[in-house]
Amino acid sequence: MTAANGDLPPIRPRLSHTVLPTPVWTQARRSLRLPAFWVLLGLLGYGAWRLYGLLGPLARAYPSAAVFAVSLFTLYAIPFLLVVRGLDFMEREPPLLMATALAWGGIVATATAALAGRAGHDLLAKQVSPGFAADWGAALVAPAVEEPLKLLGVIVIGLIARHHVNSVMDGIVYGALVGLGFQVVEDIAFALGQVDNSGLGDQVQPVIAVFLLRGFLGGLWSHTVFSAIAGGGVGYALIRRERETPHRYAVLVLAGLGAAGLHFLWNTPVFADGFGAGVAGVLAVLVLKGVPALLLVLALVRVAGHREADYYVRELAAYGDPELATEAELAALRSMWRRSAARRLAADRRGGAAGRAVGRLQRAQAQVAVELSRGGDQVDGYRARAHAERQVLRRLGHPEAYAPGGAAIPWWLWAVLVGGLGALVVLFVTTLGSVNGG
Amino acid sequence: MDSRPRVIRRAAEAAAVLAVVLAFGVGLPAINHAVPARRAVPAGAPFPVGAGVTVVPPAGAQYDVTRTAARASQGAVLFVVGNLRYTVVVLTVDRTLAEAAAALRTKITSRGGYQLVGRQAATSTAQGVPGVQGGYATSGRAGRYAVFVYAGRTVEVTFAGTDLELHDTLPALSASVNSLYFGKAG
Repeated sequence: MTAANGDLPPIRPRLSHTVLPTPVWTQARRSLRLPAFWVLLGLLGYGAWRLYGLLGPLARAYPSAAVFAVSLFTLYAIPFLLVVRGLDFMEREPPLLMATALAWGGIVATATAALAGRAGHDLLAKQVSPGFAADWGAALVAPAVEEPLKLLGVIVIGLIARHHVNSVMDGIVYGALVGLGFQVVEDIAFALGQVDNSGLGDQVQPVIAVFLLRGFLGGLWSHTVFSAIAGGGVGYALIRRERETPHRYAVLVLAGLGAAGLHFLWNTPVFADGFGAGVAGVLAVLVLKGVPALLLVLALVRVAGHREADYYVRELAAYGDPELATEAELAALRSMWRRSAARRLAADRRGGAAGRAVGRLQRAQAQVAVELSRGGDQVDGYRARAHAERQVLRRLGHPEAYAPGGAAIPWWLWAVLVGGLGALVVLFVTTLGSVNGG
Repeated sequence: MDSRPRVIRRAAEAAAVLAVVLAFGVGLPAINHAVPARRAVPAGAPFPVGAGVTVVPPAGAQYDVTRTAARASQGAVLFVVGNLRYTVVVLTVDRTLAEAAAALRTKITSRGGYQLVGRQAATSTAQGVPGVQGGYATSGRAGRYAVFVYAGRTVEVTFAGTDLELHDTLPALSASVNSLYFGKAG
């Protein structure tokens, strides 16, 4: 057997408040007894009605563009959902709660922010000047209005399903989903607004322009990332009970302010001209404004993800069943990249069936770990499933689902990232050219 | 059975969520509504619309600061004369006059209940910039539009009010549209 811990730090000693497992007695229908659940339902209905009022006329005026925009931005959300799902590997969140987070961001937060954002912009114009509102409205009003409303979505999840926010990572996941819902609906609204402003009628070109500008050039460091940071603060406040209450709430406020600050940085008109260096300068400024948010969320995900994974890996290690999980497999379970590397290694060595079997084994190992942590009664069932997958792997000649040592990020992913960055530059130049040229 | 303090705490949490959403969705718009948006404009002086374009507003007009923004490459202003709304928008778009006019007509007719009336006719500003003008109508209101294209800039003008208001104000509005001036952009 090959132990491959690679460049991961050693597993931390047990941190009792890193994860608070979902108690076995938790039932979804208990949420029905909570006032917050009914407030949530009411707000979803109100938000849907408001959104229909805002977007309905545009959708009726430009039906083809509307269908195209909804389809395009829905497809656009899929890679984000896959990444969030990958982060959420060890202790998966209930699909209904994930959908609720998306709906809060896409319905309640967008509908409310549309009203409040308009009012905030108008107040700036009235109290300062129309020029100031035009230049600084997006930078000042959008973070002040949108970030609290999105953060509230994660808090509502915490109120209606307190025991499903088990770790800081769960807060990040719910925050990212709220932000993703907001991002998709806001982009659809922008696209339809652009169609209306263009005066070209029911055409899809303005939708494509918005997709390139907001989806790609701004998509990596937009609402999904901002809200993930804020959501991490909610997770911390709910989970780290060994800390004093003021400390936990200070972290929550700091995370919210951090998200708003990064949103402000992204929207600020400062250096919008790209230091006068043309398209290259504008692109450099976009990267400079966006990368801090991306780096911060990656660092948060790394720390929170390892802490959560360490907790569950420790449960498996303490169980002491090498047929369930070997030492090398425990090391592989600790990060999304290493789990993926283990699946790829199996697929490379013994074909796709081995890669898929490793995936199923890892899932069963995670399920056993979660059941052990919450004292659940399904440990034996999941363990039997893991043993069965072990037999499959043995038959395929790859008995251990370990990850190779060395670089956790494979060469092809680097190629995709570099290629993607190059494509972004080309898209940016093309889009800016088409926008300038009308 | 939940304890009374827990029930009260949960009700307070739900009320707090509702309060935050209402503060943003209802409170802030209400405050905004309470603060007047209209400002007087100096009589007879050119008003900057954006992208180097100016217009002399009709006497007695006020402008709405929330629908007004002059920028280097584009701009807009909404004047209010009584109950009549008079909008001038400047866009930096590479279009012919025919394309710009078609785009404005599409914008007007894409709004539910709006339709074009009468024939489109040629016009020009006092500066000599050629344009086209026409009319539109909606339930209880009549409107006029005009489009001018000059040096990469498109100016879209619309004004609307009741038939009576429009009839009384039309000479002043026409004089204002005639005063559109395309200065140096940027």
